[in-house]
Amino acid sequence: MEIRGRVWKFGKDVDTDELFAGRFIMGGDETNRAKYQEFIAGSGLSDVGQRENVPEGFLTGVAQGDIIVAEENFGIGSSRQQAAETLKFKGVQAVVADSVHRIFFRNFWNLGCPAIDLPGVSAHFETGQKMLIDLRQGIIKNLTTGKQFEFRLIIPPWFIDMVEAGGLIPYHKSLGGNPKS
Amino acid sequence: MTLVEKILARKAGKKVVRPDEIVEVSVDRAMIHDALGAHTIARFRELGVKKVWDPAKIVVVPDHYVPNKDIDTAKKCLNIKKFVLEQGIEKYYEVGKGGIAHQVLVEKGHVLPGMVLVGVDSHTTTSGVAGAFATGIGVDEMAVVFKTGRLWERVPGTIRVKVEGRLKPPIMSKDLMLLILKKLGVSGALFKSLQFTGSAIEDMSIESRMVLTNMAIESGATNGIIEPDQKLVDYLKARTNEPFEVVRSDPDDEYAQTLEFQADDIKEPLVAVPPKPSNAVGVSEVEGTRVDQAFIGSCTNGRLEDLRIAAKILKGRKVDKLTKVIVIPASQEVYKAALAEGLIVTFVEAGAVVGPPTCGPCMEAHMGILGPDEVCISTANRNFQGRVGDVTAKIYLASPATVAASALKGKISDPREFF
Repeated sequence: MEIRGRVWKFGKDVDTDELFAGRFIMGGDETNRAKYQEFIAGSGLSDVGQRENVPEGFLTGVAQGDIIVAEENFGIGSSRQQAAETLKFKGVQAVVADSVHRIFFRNFWNLGCPAIDLPGVSAHFETGQKMLIDLRQGIIKNLTTGKQFEFRLIIPPWFIDMVEAGGLIPYHKSLGGNPKS
Repeated sequence: MTLVEKILARKAGKKVVRPDEIVEVSVDRAMIHDALGAHTIARFRELGVKKVWDPAKIVVVPDHYVPNKDIDTAKKCLNIKKFVLEQGIEKYYEVGKGGIAHQVLVEKGHVLPGMVLVGVDSHTTTSGVAGAFATGIGVDEMAVVFKTGRLWERVPGTIRVKVEGRLKPPIMSKDLMLLILKKLGVSGALFKSLQFTGSAIEDMSIESRMVLTNMAIESGATNGIIEPDQKLVDYLKARTNEPFEVVRSDPDDEYAQTLEFQADDIKEPLVAVPPKPSNAVGVSEVEGTRVDQAFIGSCTNGRLEDLRIAAKILKGRKVDKLTKVIVIPASQEVYKAALAEGLIVTFVEAGAVVGPPTCGPCMEAHMGILGPDEVCISTANRNFQGRVGDVTAKIYLASPATVAASALKGKISDPREFF
């Protein structure tokens, strides 16, 4: 499975309160997917102008298929899935970071979007560069500089199938039973 | 194997597990609250199954937005209650019966040694105080747990946090935890477990221990855990008739890392300056900083011993004229005990407002939200930028003793003056 996209370079310790503020948690009609998606996409990163670890222009410039590259500890904090959802609904299809917090890691994958942790990777990418990810081969390539990196994910064996199915809920519906590790 | 490895091995039906191995375990308890419960239920319904795997293993505690603050929160809580009734979930705590979920799980004996417990909340780690593997997950995963009763987990390597000696009042376990976080940083324990051990931990009350497992998440850890001792067994036996077996680590267990602390060496109370829980400094470094709000409560520090020490400092005194002082007991049980001991009267006479058991101004949910440039000193667990209101507001984290002392003066103050 190959993913190609344009890079936005984030700093370290991007937290869930920053990605999706607490005041929006009870908003959005969770029983209506389309309405919910619109609300979540619009509410995320609302204070972004005052944050040091978010690249300038991200909120207005992010487009479908973009990839976030971040320094260490991406997604620290709350279990609020909206923090992962808002990125997906804004168009972000993958997060590649020096390290990723456990709950965000699971939440983002569960939406059908890979979160890849590879120590030191952020130093080799800048905003605007193009990236290629080969999920099954475990390869990340900076298509702008030509540099290539290998990663090894610690994930259940069914995880990439899940991404291809569109996320945990659609994957689980298609299985009928519980995915076996 | 370490304690967490042994629990995960048992629940995965394996003899041995190793750090960073992927396992699939059976779940003993699954907790939802009001903030993410309705979302969980909506996703569960999408899965196309009618019944949850085991209603007796589900605990439902509305706690973030109670009593409901508007039509949205009331609607979501109604959806949750409808689900509870439809599924036959008995462990449901309506407003006035429970409190903050993490407190209720421990206080009602719903979490027991050796269990695997998941919740739709990162501070689910609190329940590790009972010698269980307890951790947070998102709503899609919880929907699948409701269907299957199963969870995959990356076995966390164990960081042993060994604390010897004894904390001397007004130094509290909060001060110790801020010191531990200073050492580990906010990412020092990613995909690891923090196991708290040593004579200082044994010496602590269950309430004090809960501060450590609660804030384990702030180091990036998967979970926090404490090996059960007689004190815990007695505590739980007074609260549940459900049988349990204590799981202990092997004598030859292997740790990823050991951190050692001397409780007696902590002489000065600590304060975590914004915007990270790991930014601890001695109180003297920030003493005199003006505070607009002082909050005593939350799943971190809203228990009886927290209210007792705060009341000891506030008794017979008045809080600062211009400071909003908010006290919120973590549960109805804590509230009732605080009433019986006269603590609530002390708070009210001192000029504090006492709220009903709820999460309160620990996050930007319901009450005590901060405006532009306001400064709050709080006993809660996170001081991220924008955590409780305006993005320019600042949150300092400290113990109930330090917050109470600061409430009196309207500026960050050292509680030792009152001891």
